[in-house]
Parts: sequence; C-alpha cells; structure tokens
Amino acid sequence: MNVEISLAVNGREWAGEVEPRLTLADLLRDHLALTGTHLGCEHGVCGACTVLLDGQAARSCLTLAVQADGRQVTTVEGLSEDLLPRELFQCGFCRSGFVCSAEALLRREPLPRAVELPELLAGNICRCTGYEPILDALSARLPG
Amino acid sequence: MKSSPFDYHRPESLAEALSLFAEWGEEARALAGGQSLVPMLAMRLARPAVVVDLARIPELRGVARTAGGWRIGTMTREVELERVAGLPPIIAAAISHIGHFQIRTQGTVGGSLVHLDPAGEWPALSMLLEATLELASSRGSRRLSAREFALAPMLAALEPDELLVAVELPDCGGPFGFEEVERRPGDFALVGAACHGASVVAFGTGRVPQRLTGCEAHMAAGGGSGLELRKLAEDEMEAHGDIHASAAYRRQVGARLVERVVGAAAAA
Repeated sequence: MNVEISLAVNGREWAGEVEPRLTLADLLRDHLALTGTHLGCEHGVCGACTVLLDGQAARSCLTLAVQADGRQVTTVEGLSEDLLPRELFQCGFCRSGFVCSAEALLRREPLPRAVELPELLAGNICRCTGYEPILDALSARLPG
Repeated sequence: MKSSPFDYHRPESLAEALSLFAEWGEEARALAGGQSLVPMLAMRLARPAVVVDLARIPELRGVARTAGGWRIGTMTREVELERVAGLPPIIAAAISHIGHFQIRTQGTVGGSLVHLDPAGEWPALSMLLEATLELASSRGSRRLSAREFALAPMLAALEPDELLVAVELPDCGGPFGFEEVERRPGDFALVGAACHGASVVAFGTGRVPQRLTGCEAHMAAGGGSGLELRKLAEDEMEAHGDIHASAAYRRQVGARLVERVVGAAAAA
C-alpha cells in the first residue's frame, strides 16, 4: 500500500505517493532526478549517499523515504560548489557524500578540530584513495 | 539490495503501536532509527509483512534523571543523548564508538539494544551496568535484567507482541575503562572490553556480551590488572572466529583490552 509523503528537498516542497520500501536515496535519484547523491554499498558503510536530514548528516540508503516525511532534506545539489571543489577528487564518485558530511561538520557547535578530521570522516570512503586533498581543503577551514 | 514489499504504519501513541503488534505479532517489525533494520530489509535478511515506525510516539523519547540513575526512552537518538548535560562519561565514551557520526544522528538506544549485535555498544553497556529493560505489550508491562534480555546474537527476549519502551541505568559516574579494536574508526568492534566499578564485560567476542566473573572475583580479592588478570580473562572469555578475526585473535586481544580497561578504571 503506497503512502503519501511531503518533504522539502533543497528548499523546494515535494509531495507524492511512495512505496514504503523505497529508500530516501532512490526517491532522490529516481523520482526527483537528483542524481548527485550516489549509491555505493547500499548498507551504510561507504558514505557516498550521505545527505543532510533536518540539517544533520544521514545515510540516505539507510533512511526510508517515508521516514523523511515532513522533514528537510539537503543534497549535494543544494550546497556550495566551493565547499569541496570538484578538482580535489579523482573519479568523483564519493564527492557528494564528502560534501554533505563536511557541511554537517562545519555546522557543528563547537567546530571539530582539524586533527580530528581523519577519524570523523572515516565514514566516507574514497576508492581512489585520494583522501589528502579532501582533508587538506577541509582542514584549512577548521581550528588547529 | 532492495527490500521486499511491506505495509507501513506510523502510530502516534504507544497504545496504538501495541495494538498493531498484538494484531501482527511476528509478521511486524518495529522501525526505530533504521540503521540496522533498513540494511537488513535491503539484504532481505528481514522480510516483515508490516513495519511499524516508532518515530512519532512521544512516550518513547527522552532522557530523565531518576532517583537511582537514568531512564532513557527507546527512541532516543545517540546524537540527542550526546547533548544531555551531566551524562556519565562512561555513556559518552561508549556512544562515541557507535558507528560514524552520520549513523548516530539517526541510530537509537532501543534500536541497538533490540538488534543485539554481539559487538554492539548498548548491549555491552547494559550488561556491564546491570541495566533494567522496560517492555510493554497490550497485555501489560514487565521488566527484565540485561542478562535476561540478551538471549542470543540478534535475539532479544521480546515476545512477538512486545516493544522495548525504555532502559534504566543505575548511577554510573566515576572511573571506567572502555576500549575497542576496530578496522577503522566507526566500524563494528572486532573485540571490545569495558570496566566500571567491580564489573568487567567483553563484547564482540562471544554470542552476547559476557561478564567476566572470574576477573571480577580476582579484582574483588584485591588482585591487580597485570599478567594474572590477562590470563584469567583469556581462560574464561568465549570467543568466536569469523572472516574478520580468528577466535585466538579475539581471545588474545580481548584479554589485553580487559587488562587495559581494568587498569584505566583503577587509575582514574
């Protein structure tokens, strides 16, 4: 039985009927054509599908679309291009997840320290192993 | 990697939720934060006919200071608990090991307890601190100790129509040790150990978190945290081997962690 939901994605209201089993990631990609959010492992390990849910980082593959009913979703399409520029990445598959995780970290009070970044970002995998430029760019915005 | 179909209910009161579980029993699964259930649905390890989302039930949320300790509602998210003023440091330390921060924004205390992964931090903490679990069904409510609750890996002592409502922890301030060995920060522990007061627990090693009673007796008799303790821990620790680590590795590293957490709890 389908369920009616409504949510705000990057500030725009969306309402429609979804199957309860539909994940938020598939809603974004297949129903809203927001294909910037990528799906890697689909069980919460790789971090590629990370989005912001009510301003907090969350795995969109571990969230059902029905759980996002009435909530605010922000995807890579709704965030600044300058936060982690494209040229920092090699293939770019992991970028959207890193951008959303970075945005969540930059919204934290108090801000994390730059030295904590490698552990904090362990939930985002880059299979090109191009971590250093990503961490360097983000470190530059953080204290010590 | 797509779930099989199910019907979805989102009750707005505990009574409404309990009547759904009374009606559907084993065919229903409770959805807390979804950080364990959603992947199990995707891998079709769980194929419920009905999913009952607990997100809109006010009775299941919140953290309260009680006469003897803390009462934590089952739907309290880890990130909410992290922000509770005066939270005992042992709880904060345990939470910091739960998944990545992107998981802790959604993951709940009750979800972790009921999922009962052998390496889960909440099952370990509940066993270490001798927590009490409050269960409810439309037939009434009952309370179980953590030991009674943890039947087997991924198997809590819940009847098909029952729901975990809250967990009660005794006052648990003071010195402690809590350590894990994991492949990368945020992964499930290959091995973990914790110590608080006179209690020692090993987790990720056996079927469910294990209180190391031999080590506890050794400490109660005035024994220290040296080689003798490590040997005792190695002898009594249940350990399983899998693709990630052999039983011998878990026992050896687990015993070393026991030595460390007992030392940390004594030194602090």
